[in-house]
Amino acid sequence: MKCAACSREARDNTYCELHARAYERITETYDRWKRAMEISWKEYLSEIAKNPLTGEWAREVAEQLIKAEKEVDVENG
Amino acid sequence: MASVEKHTLIITEKPDAAQRIALALDLNQGAKRNQHDGVPYYTAKRDKEILVVPALGHLYTVAGESCGRDRYPVFDYKWVPRYVAERGADRIRTWLKVITELAKDADTFIDACDYDLEGSIIGYCILKYACGNKEKVSKRMKYSTLTKEELEKSYTELLPHLDFALIEAGQTRHEIDWLYGINLSRALTAVTKNSSGTYANLSTGRVQGPILKFLVERERSVRSFVPVPYWRIRAQIEICGRLFEAQYEKQVVESNSEARSILSACKEKNAQVKSIETRQFRQPQPVPFDLGTLQNEAYKLFGYTPRRTSSIAQRLYLDALISYPRTSSQKLPSTIDYKAVLRNLNKIQQYRSLAAELLAKPELKPHEGKKDDPAHPAIYPTGNPPERILDSAESNIWNLVVRRFLAVFSEPAIRQSMKIQIDIDGQSFHLNGMRTLEEGWLRFCRPYGGSEEILLPAIKEGQQISVKKVILEDRFTNPPPRYNPASLLRKMEKTEIGTKATRADIIQTLYDRKYIRDDRMIVTDLGLEILEVLRIHCPKVISVKLTRDLEERMDKISQKDEKREDVIASVVETLKPILEGIKENEKEIGERLTNAARKARLDERIIGPCLICRTGRLLTLYSRKTGKRFVGCSNYFKGVCKTSFPLPQKGAIIPLNRSCRQCGWPTIQIRTKGRRSWILCINSKCPSKRERRQRIEMRSMQQRST
Repeated sequence: MKCAACSREARDNTYCELHARAYERITETYDRWKRAMEISWKEYLSEIAKNPLTGEWAREVAEQLIKAEKEVDVENG
Repeated sequence: MASVEKHTLIITEKPDAAQRIALALDLNQGAKRNQHDGVPYYTAKRDKEILVVPALGHLYTVAGESCGRDRYPVFDYKWVPRYVAERGADRIRTWLKVITELAKDADTFIDACDYDLEGSIIGYCILKYACGNKEKVSKRMKYSTLTKEELEKSYTELLPHLDFALIEAGQTRHEIDWLYGINLSRALTAVTKNSSGTYANLSTGRVQGPILKFLVERERSVRSFVPVPYWRIRAQIEICGRLFEAQYEKQVVESNSEARSILSACKEKNAQVKSIETRQFRQPQPVPFDLGTLQNEAYKLFGYTPRRTSSIAQRLYLDALISYPRTSSQKLPSTIDYKAVLRNLNKIQQYRSLAAELLAKPELKPHEGKKDDPAHPAIYPTGNPPERILDSAESNIWNLVVRRFLAVFSEPAIRQSMKIQIDIDGQSFHLNGMRTLEEGWLRFCRPYGGSEEILLPAIKEGQQISVKKVILEDRFTNPPPRYNPASLLRKMEKTEIGTKATRADIIQTLYDRKYIRDDRMIVTDLGLEILEVLRIHCPKVISVKLTRDLEERMDKISQKDEKREDVIASVVETLKPILEGIKENEKEIGERLTNAARKARLDERIIGPCLICRTGRLLTLYSRKTGKRFVGCSNYFKGVCKTSFPLPQKGAIIPLNRSCRQCGWPTIQIRTKGRRSWILCINSKCPSKRERRQRIEMRSMQQRST
């Protein structure tokens, strides 16, 4: 199975090893953002996706997560 | 060139050193330059005739016993002339022939190559193989500068024999590096070739693997980095009519609500000086340069890569301007005649007053560092003035070395720090100042190594201060910094892998193999993939500990605490299972590396995004009809976009990953050998080009009218 963010082989059914690490970083860092300000998961993802300091793999994962959430929203009407 | 009377034959590492030694040893200071088959050598007259013949660096190298360039594993090797093992080294054949002829009529042999690992092997191999086993009867010249005085002293106080332990350690290092390099690089290249049928120049080595690991670890941290917001609060205050910025006591405020409550607490409030703390301290002189610190300083001040600094320093050494640069020492032993060096520097206008000041001191004692090197002292100037006009880079490095040498004999600087604690309605802010009370060594290093001066006005505890405004800054944490050539070199030194002579070259190899790019080192996908393959299939090859242990064992050979055969046998035992593992997984490794190499080749051709279709990428393409290169959109092949631009037909194209300020299209750099590189916007209708054309036309019209 392919990684959801690139064309590499997925390690754990979703991401390749490189993007899996970026995903871990995104989930870990969300707690620090929540302590810093009131922010929802969706807002957080869009903030880090547009931040120029965000690493390339982390941005790719954030963009993929935003896209996936949008698809879920469409499915749920 | 044949002479009846027997002569002394001196072997040097480089032609420049041969000339200097001949000139220094000739009693009439008129050494004669000879040439045979294009090989220069010098004749000096002393008690008897002395012939000084140079090498061209290494004339011998390690090569496999049997033929076959793709075969691995290979564990049988021998030392051979370089022309046997390397393409394009035919000149070495003539060179060795001339040395052999000159050796025939010699009765005394002296190795005068640089006194270090590499120099010792160069001299040893020539004496053993080209001169016919003269290594055991040869004497050794040991010197750290190419000045006449030191060379004469070194000739009259010859060491009775070569340093065989050092030679053995050096040979072992070359043999082990060959075993690692040839086997692993051949394995990687072969599996890729077997998988795709195309050749890709892939390599790794004993030191290259662990360094790539450092870089990849940092690359992963950077690419997975997620910034976190924080806030910084500053208060702009007025003291004696001047504005200053005081920092809030907490450098980082982690919560937005906390930051805003501090801000509102300070709003429109006045401040009071709570306390003033001053501290006087000594800032000690710098220590003398070893190669690593010189490379670091040159990168910091002038942006020179470690390799460039090393080669400039080598040129200055061959010009007898500085001592031997490939040293780890930060010590200047008392055997160096400091006063003589200072007296010489006193004759050079720009150093006159500083040298005179030091000469007036009753005692000259250098401020030394911890690092030592048994072969050479720290880098120091000889005091000789340049015999030719130095280019700006050479001049910078020479000036840096001279000023550092002067500074180590001067006095510590005395500085004073001041910390003013300011209270704004219960919130604490700091104002930090710094000033120099006694300049000491700082004067000697000027214009380098300047110190920051933040002068604060006279102020008293309890004094009321007006707050102009309080500023809240939104900030984000930064990703870890990427390595640059200097910081990577420091890392290699700290982890004790590689040698002072090889570190800069290994960094260059990573660039040459396209594993990394840019000054702020970015690991390419090819570099990431190579490391991933090594991590999975041969983790020992990238183990820093294993490499360091091996370095220690090789050092022990030079101290006669370890046997060369044992170290090599253990390396072979380490490599055997690794190479078998690669063979077993050839298909998987081959596919991964083929894809990565293919992607790397494609990436090299990508110039930037297409601004017309917005989905394609602009690539360097070649016309089937004319063979000329041009820029085209990747969507052309899908029939979507026909964007194309012409390209200069000569020179290497380097994508700059930057958009043109005028039109937004990607920019490239054209590098042509021997010419200055130039930056170009690929858009042929870019306004910048129109302006340039107009300027040229105007100029030519003006010229015509005059």
